[in-house]
Amino acid sequence: MSHADTPRVIERHSVIGARVPKLDAEDKVTGRTRYVNDMVLPRMLHAKILRTDRVHARIIRIDTARAEALPGVVAIITAADMPKAGIGVLKDNPPLKSDKVRTIRDELAAVAAESEAICDAALRLIEVEYEDLPAIFECIDALKPGAPVIHSERPDNVAMVHEFVHGDVDSAERASDVVVEGKYNVHYVTHCNMGVSCVLADIGVDGRVTLYSQTQYPYIMKMDIAPALDVHPGDIRIIQPPVGGAFGSKLDVYPYEPICVALARKARRPVKLAFSRKEEFIASPTRQPVEFTIRAGMTKDGILTFRDIDTLLNNGGYTSWGATTPFVTMRTCSSHYRVPHVRYRARAIYTNNPYAGSFRGYGNVQATWAIETHMDKMAEVAGPDPVAFRLKNANEPGDVTPQGARLNNIDLKGCLKIAAAKSDFVSKWARYREGWNSNSRVKRGIGIAASLHNAGGAKIHKSDGCGTILKVDDYARVTVITGASDIGQGIDTVIAQFVAEELGVPMRDVTVIANDTATGPWDVGVHASRTTYIAGNSARRAARKARAMILDQAAKQSNVTADCLDLRAGHVVQADNGVVVIPLDRLLRQMHFAGQDATLVMVTDYYEPPSQPEDKNHIGDMSACYSHAVHVAEIIVDTLTGEIRVETVWSVQDVGRIVNPVGLEGQIEGGIAMGLGYALSEELKIENGIVRNPYFRDYHVFTAPQMPRFDLTFIETADAEGPAGAKGIAELPTIVIAPAIGNALYNATGLRIDHPPLTPEKVARGLWDRAQAMKRAAE
Amino acid sequence: MSLKVDIVFTLNGAAVRASVSADANALVVLREQFDLAGAKLACGEGECGACTIIVDGLSLNGCLMPAADLDGRRVETIEGLWRGAGLDPVQKTFVETGAIQCGFCTPGMVMQARHLIERNPDASEADIRRGLEGNICRCTGYRKIVDAVVLTLRAARP
Amino acid sequence: MTHAQATSPRSFDDYVSATSVEAAVRALADGDGTPVAGGTDLWIQKDLGVKPFAGRLVNIRRIAALRGIEERGGRIRVGALTTMTEVLDSDCLRRFAPVLPATADRFASVQIRNVATIGGNIINASPAADFVVPLLCLDAEAELACWRGERVATRCLPLGDLLAGPGHTRREPVELLTAVHFDTPAADFHAAFCKSGPRPALEIARVSLCLAGRLVDRRLTCVRLALGAVAPTAIRCLRTEATIEGAVLDDTVLRHALECLDSEIAPIDDVRSSAWYRRHLARTYLEQELRRVLEG
Repeated sequence: MSHADTPRVIERHSVIGARVPKLDAEDKVTGRTRYVNDMVLPRMLHAKILRTDRVHARIIRIDTARAEALPGVVAIITAADMPKAGIGVLKDNPPLKSDKVRTIRDELAAVAAESEAICDAALRLIEVEYEDLPAIFECIDALKPGAPVIHSERPDNVAMVHEFVHGDVDSAERASDVVVEGKYNVHYVTHCNMGVSCVLADIGVDGRVTLYSQTQYPYIMKMDIAPALDVHPGDIRIIQPPVGGAFGSKLDVYPYEPICVALARKARRPVKLAFSRKEEFIASPTRQPVEFTIRAGMTKDGILTFRDIDTLLNNGGYTSWGATTPFVTMRTCSSHYRVPHVRYRARAIYTNNPYAGSFRGYGNVQATWAIETHMDKMAEVAGPDPVAFRLKNANEPGDVTPQGARLNNIDLKGCLKIAAAKSDFVSKWARYREGWNSNSRVKRGIGIAASLHNAGGAKIHKSDGCGTILKVDDYARVTVITGASDIGQGIDTVIAQFVAEELGVPMRDVTVIANDTATGPWDVGVHASRTTYIAGNSARRAARKARAMILDQAAKQSNVTADCLDLRAGHVVQADNGVVVIPLDRLLRQMHFAGQDATLVMVTDYYEPPSQPEDKNHIGDMSACYSHAVHVAEIIVDTLTGEIRVETVWSVQDVGRIVNPVGLEGQIEGGIAMGLGYALSEELKIENGIVRNPYFRDYHVFTAPQMPRFDLTFIETADAEGPAGAKGIAELPTIVIAPAIGNALYNATGLRIDHPPLTPEKVARGLWDRAQAMKRAAE
Repeated sequence: MSLKVDIVFTLNGAAVRASVSADANALVVLREQFDLAGAKLACGEGECGACTIIVDGLSLNGCLMPAADLDGRRVETIEGLWRGAGLDPVQKTFVETGAIQCGFCTPGMVMQARHLIERNPDASEADIRRGLEGNICRCTGYRKIVDAVVLTLRAARP
Repeated sequence: MTHAQATSPRSFDDYVSATSVEAAVRALADGDGTPVAGGTDLWIQKDLGVKPFAGRLVNIRRIAALRGIEERGGRIRVGALTTMTEVLDSDCLRRFAPVLPATADRFASVQIRNVATIGGNIINASPAADFVVPLLCLDAEAELACWRGERVATRCLPLGDLLAGPGHTRREPVELLTAVHFDTPAADFHAAFCKSGPRPALEIARVSLCLAGRLVDRRLTCVRLALGAVAPTAIRCLRTEATIEGAVLDDTVLRHALECLDSEIAPIDDVRSSAWYRRHLARTYLEQELRRVLEG
């Protein structure tokens, strides 16, 4: 825009709350974006891992000689080629196995060759000899005396225990008028990222490692992967190209990445290791399955008195972030609704199953299924309806939970009331139940569920912070280097909005740079619904520093104070009337070319949220803020085929402040789709430790024609500390929907299914068995 | 290894030639021999649609098409949509509606949407949802993708 | 992926793209040819090592004589290369045998329908082969060609006789399926296809069912009942058909039909479904269709 076109007066327009397209959308829609899966480096080799076909066996011998002789094979490694160190949360997972295999995933060897086809041929030539060992797959069997031991360091097969107690549960139970028991077993599902697991490793002549990785936590990953590579963390550079989804699957170090590095080191060439889709289903970490046993009580007036919850977690053969989901599960158990007395225990038990990792919702998907199904059962006893019962026990703003979380700026009651009103819940709920005994083949049901989640990160490491480096150049173009990563969730766009808002530049003039640990500032990782809040605040503060530098200089030059000036549409203007003072780019050039007083506008910020780590008793305000969502689902059930069609989902979520409606809606809609799959159709069928359905044809995620109508409402509680009042939002939609579906099935048919997914066969069988039982009773 | 077959075909409007393995699929040829990385290998079994390309006016899964059968065909990939004046109308509405998050499914989704629009300019929302059944998206929940296609159809009607 | 997969993926050592039936059957004449059309089943299977594949890939997709849907002289001929989309779009089939477009609409996805052929669906011979089920109800015959005595020789046989077992047909390695034929259904012919969900189409059927017959005065004659995914191949249920033949639907007839059905199907437990659920769905669909057709 030439200065002759400069308008004399510019009004203030906010970009917060505007519908802004995602920054990288045009590259993605034209196919220009190169994901890790598309990357090619000069002289790059391809790699494949040899995985075992046993679930528990001692390794007698691995013979790679014939494979090494195959033309086109450049390097083969086994455990002898890597340090003895284990990776993962308990460091119990050596990338390549030498003593025994404990799961169907176990990595025995890896090949780097000129093509994937040669890799596959080489794998077939590697000979492995085993001595089979007895295997265990159920927690209960692993706990029996004399059970096979998975890891000799833990002869009782207990990987981790989490416990929390508040108050006196036993007295509370004695004093309760009603006690309801329930058991809920939630199942294995997997992320199904469209971009399969893939990594590229490139080793410098001096041994420094560069990884092109899909990781979600690059800075801590350096520390976590270093022992498996015998390299100093400072000599590991992690670059994050665009990824095809993540959803929590990449928050730990998994064997394939150090294996790829070891191959690249041996081959002295870059190596790319990519999973096949079948391998992705088998080898990518799952969501943590949990067996819940719940006892909960209330007064005759329906006021909750206690919860006593015991859980078993099938830890599989190695430990990743699945074992630590109790950290979040326990908060739902102790703090979702007002519960005066709580006892919670979680034991993660080793078995020969595949192991779990983090997955969107992280323990709260599982907890909310159990708690909200259980609450629905309690509502049935307490009356008058599921909404009134929940309102009676709802948390209020200002509550401090039994774990010390401060629920400021929350509005569970508001969410419940709005969801109930919009869906006409109570009258439909009453009407549909009357159809339980009708002969109609097709029945309608409506169900409600709510949950609480951290919305401002989770202080589980020494820092929950995020850094920003920001510069404004001579053309008034802004570059933002954030420690946070865009994994498709739109953090790039949100950060650009915050920056554009402070600096008054058009969105198109802000570039957000993808992560490279060599140049980027530290961030703990993309998880715990933290990026809008923490990376957003960091970017905002950095932008404010730049703004202050700019306005201070402009004020000096115009002989006014900085608070009389504003930045709008790439210009410095008078704050009260918008009269243009000077174009921003001209000012910046004056600041730059000022001889000995030269100033470039380059700033940094590091934002640490005001949360506390939990102490050893699990007490601590561990997130900067919290929020709620309520879902109502209206469904249609074919009582003969058991098929459930979800007609409408009403979602009401406390988001603090809407920053980008497009991105926000997209996260809610996508999160609900994932939760619907969890509730109705997704199930990784693991039998005797083996994945029986490692294909999309037998593992059903939701498709376009299956999706319900969405009715989305956002409540803005304006968090005091959140950037522009915004809170994290992306996990709650996956967390809440499933029990709403289960509760709707109960409302439609009177059939309660405690263990998801509610597949057509399960529903049909449940209704059939109940009809047969009623027939027998009548006879 | 396997036999090589020489083929000649039209790729995004240009005549090209290639030598392909008799057991290769069209997707790997387009990605590796022509550096057209838009179409993705995401499942290899025709279940996810991320490899959707248009051949002789019909959408299909590139991962299941015998590469040798490209001979004499007219092939269009996502890279061929953006030429001349600017983005294709489907691409524009995808960007504006927020139909793209991680974007991995997007090239296949856009090509399939193009196919649906050309085949049935009067498609209803239900028709569009059925038409996208073979394209999996794990990010968006499909709402904005369907909105984008509906908007494109509406804009094209006189 | 694992040590257990000992067989190598298929590597073809010869490739022929035939443009005539003669060229194709001559390429198959030594028994070492694999015909391919759309490839939607073959291109997955060839790398799994579960089916034996011959060394010569014979691309039959360009053989014009294998295309086309035609009604002539009371017979309908559907070329083996007819794609599911062509079935969906066919004015001829919509008019004379609408159950076939209705079935095609429940088949996989648009991308697969655009290239998957009825010939491929038949020869792949999945026990759950969607398209075979209604064809059995139309008394379809399969036409096979081969090169014999220096010429193209053809034979026809009932489609049910061609199916041999899961993934197997009685097609000789030297033969090529060229078409299916069936009598043009009468004006009072009714047929309906049911397939398990919950997805509209992108599902391998847990159960599929087609009930057909001539509907006059609330009775069905020339009853045909075929099911998929409840036996090693798609099957006709002849004894069940007999219970429905010419009958007015009442509780006794219905009960008898369902009992017969139970005895004629042999569903298994597999990763997709239990045998119980398959039986339950089969009974549900039969009762549903009987009531829909015979009760009005």
